[in-house]
Amino acid sequence: EFRPRPPPRVAPADSRTSGSEPSRLAMAAAALRAQLNALLANMFTTGMVDEQFQQLQSLQEDGGSASGFVAEVATLFIDDADRIIADIAALLDQPVVDFDKVDAHVHQLKGSSSSVGAQKVKLACMHFRQFYEAKSKEGCLMALALVRSEFCDVRNKFQTMMQLEQQIAACGPK
Amino acid sequence: MELKAKGFTSIKALLVEDIEVCRLVLSTFLLRLHCEVTLAMNGKEAVDLFLEGKKFDIVLFDKDMPVMTGPEAIVKIRAMGETDVKMVGVSADDHAMEAFMSVGADLFVPKPMRMEALGPIIQEVINKKKNDMV
Repeated sequence: EFRPRPPPRVAPADSRTSGSEPSRLAMAAAALRAQLNALLANMFTTGMVDEQFQQLQSLQEDGGSASGFVAEVATLFIDDADRIIADIAALLDQPVVDFDKVDAHVHQLKGSSSSVGAQKVKLACMHFRQFYEAKSKEGCLMALALVRSEFCDVRNKFQTMMQLEQQIAACGPK
Repeated sequence: MELKAKGFTSIKALLVEDIEVCRLVLSTFLLRLHCEVTLAMNGKEAVDLFLEGKKFDIVLFDKDMPVMTGPEAIVKIRAMGETDVKMVGVSADDHAMEAFMSVGADLFVPKPMRMEALGPIIQEVINKKKNDMV
């Protein structure tokens, strides 16, 4: 079960501190943190990411990995998947499709998506297999469309996640 | 490329993986378990490290890699007489277990490998190393 981190407690404003920069930043950070928690909860409950992604988050939160570890993993995955999907599209655009190469690329994407916890992309890759094994170009094109759609969804969420983390960091230390 | 967990150098691990994101995730797990991590991008790089005389306590192999696959590398490394080093196959391929075990791997773990699975494997290597030193 995903448990979002509570936003940091903010002391109530009084005549001495209301309107001060540190309190405004703290309140902004709390609001951003709430947004980030809601985003992450949504990604988990919709099955977009799975326990593997939670494990990566835990590594970062426990201090075992540098801050920015999850962002680095997400960025690598996005770049990798972008390239692989483009390569598969190019293969399927050929008059004679090399289904063995399609297999290799889909397998690679399945591996990277499972390592980062992008569950829906991984499942889309598993769905793809029946079509390249059957050497069905039409089937592969439909399967690629699903992979691309699932990837675009998780890419957008990861990018939003990273933007929120950057904004929270810009508010200063907790 | 060598990575080292600060203050801990007990187990020498070689990670053989061509996909960068998978390398980052697994190497982070290994560092968290206080392993000294060396990275190889394919089976041939792993074989070359052994030919150079490098020693490892555990090697984790992806299956399908350019130049040389994980099972192919295991065959060559075992043929060098490296029978003590623990060889672990790691793959998202449903048929990978047989490919690894038939060539002398000690263990197969499906991708994605979790910390809960890796921890006991590393602990077993630590225990064996301590027993061998006694």
